[in-house]
Amino acid sequence: MKLFWFETYKTFSRWRTYISFLALASVVIVSEVVMKLSASEILFRMMKVFQKDFLISGNVLNGWFIASFIMNSLHIHIPFLITLVAGDMVSGEATSGTVRLLLIRPPSRSKIITAKYLTALCYTAGLVLFFAFLCLLLGLVLFGSGDLIVHHYGKFGFVLIPEAQIPLRMLLAFASAVWSMTVVASLAFLFSALAENSVGPIIGSMAVVIAFLVFGNLPLDFFRDLSPYLFTTYMNLWQLSFDIPIPWGSIGRSVIILGLHNIGLFLIALIIYRKKDIKS
Amino acid sequence: MKKIFLWLPIFFLLFPSWIRADEEAVRYLDAIEKKYSGLKDYIADVNVHFDIETFKTPDMQAKLYFKAPDKMKVESRGVFFFPREGGYFNPALFKKEDFEIRVLEPVAEGKKDIKLKIVPKKKEKMGQEFILLIDRNDNLVREIHTSQFDGRETKAKIEYGRFGSFELPRYILLALDFPSVEPNERRGFGPFEQKSERVTGTIEITYTNYKVNTGLKDEIFTPK
Repeated sequence: MKLFWFETYKTFSRWRTYISFLALASVVIVSEVVMKLSASEILFRMMKVFQKDFLISGNVLNGWFIASFIMNSLHIHIPFLITLVAGDMVSGEATSGTVRLLLIRPPSRSKIITAKYLTALCYTAGLVLFFAFLCLLLGLVLFGSGDLIVHHYGKFGFVLIPEAQIPLRMLLAFASAVWSMTVVASLAFLFSALAENSVGPIIGSMAVVIAFLVFGNLPLDFFRDLSPYLFTTYMNLWQLSFDIPIPWGSIGRSVIILGLHNIGLFLIALIIYRKKDIKS
Repeated sequence: MKKIFLWLPIFFLLFPSWIRADEEAVRYLDAIEKKYSGLKDYIADVNVHFDIETFKTPDMQAKLYFKAPDKMKVESRGVFFFPREGGYFNPALFKKEDFEIRVLEPVAEGKKDIKLKIVPKKKEKMGQEFILLIDRNDNLVREIHTSQFDGRETKAKIEYGRFGSFELPRYILLALDFPSVEPNERRGFGPFEQKSERVTGTIEITYTNYKVNTGLKDEIFTPK
C-alpha cells in the first residue's frame, strides 16, 4: 500500500501527468462553448432525419446529450492521453536511470510492478472520470437538463432515456468507460515493461489501438470474423448503457473479456519485469 | 392524325363525368368542413406510443393546441415526437383551392365509405399524394393514406369519440413504412455497404381531456 502511495505521489508530482487533464479540459470547454453558440445548427443536423416526419418539442440539446456526444470521441483521443503516462510507468525509471536504485530497495520486483500498475489504473480512472464529470457539469450548466436522445447519425431511429433514469445510466456508462480504458493502460504498461524508453510504448500502444479499431470496422468478412478477438470491439461498452432495455448480457461479456485482457497483459508485464536484466 | 380523331370523341364523352366526379369529391370534403365549422379551437392531452423497432422510447405525453384554420402546437415536459402526417385532426386540412380532389372509386350501392384521391397543387407540397376514406353517413375521415415521392408511406386509421358537440379523434393508429436512411445520404464504403432495410411499425396516438372552443389566443402559437 505504501509502495502504491509512493508511486501515485511520484506520478502526480510530475507536471506532464497534468498535460492530459489540461488537454481534455480544453477539448471539453472549447467544444461545449462552440456547441452552445451553434446550437441550432447541431439540432438541425442531428434531427434532420426526423424533422420531415415529426414535430419535435422539448429540450433535445441538453447537458446529458452533450456529454454523451463528446464521450463518443473517447475511442480516439483518451487512449492516447492514457498511454502518455501508463507507457512511461516502468520505462521512465530506465530513462531517468533510477531503475537500479529502485530495485535494490527491500520490496520485491512483483510488489513494485503491482504498485506501478495500480497507479496506472488509478490515473486512467481519474482521467476518464475527470473528463466525464467536466462534460456533464459544463453541459448541464450551459444546456440544462432533459431526456436523453441517443441517435446514430443518418439512421432513422433513436433511443430515448427519460430524465429520471439518466444519472444511474451515466454512472454505469462512466464505470464502463473506465473499465474499457484500463485495457489501453494495461497494454501501454506491458510495452513500458518491455522497453527502455517511453516513446516506444506510447507509439506502440497507440499503433495497436488504431490498427485494431481499423480492422474491427472494415466491412469485409475476414475482419468481421476477426473482430470478436480484438479488444477494441468491446471498448464501446459504455454506449450499451444507453440502450433500452440495458443489454446486461453483452455488458457482462464485454466486462469479462476486457478484464481477462487486463489480467493477461499485467501477468505478462509481471513475468517480464521479474526476469528483466538491469545490470547491462 | 387519325388516332387523334379517334380519341377526341372518347375524351369529350368522358370529360363531363370526370368533372362530375371532381365536384362530387369536393362535396364530401365540404360536408366535413361544414360539420366542423363551429370548431374554433381545441386543447387535448396526447399520449404517443411507438411500436417501431428503431424507436426505443417509453410513451410520450404532451398537450396539443389547435386553432382553426391551421394553427397547431404541442407542449411537453420532456422530449416529444409527434407525427406530422395523420397525427392530429384538422377538418379543413384539404382545401379545394390547394388540392386536386377526385373520387378514387365509384360509390357502390349501399356502401357508406368513399375513397378520395388528393394531390397538392402547391409546388412545396408536390410529390405527396393522399387517399382519404370518408364515412359518408357521419361525414368523418376514417383513414388517411399518405405517400411521398421518396418512398415514405403512412396510413392513419382514426377512431372518434364525442367531446361536447363535436366528434373528435380519441385514437389514431398510424402505420409507417419509411426508407431507413435519407435517399441522398451516402454512408460507409459504398460498394460494400448493404442496402438498408425499410423502417416499418405503428404509432398509437390517444387523445383525452378535450377542451373545445376555449378561445385560444394567437400568441400561444407564436414560437418563443
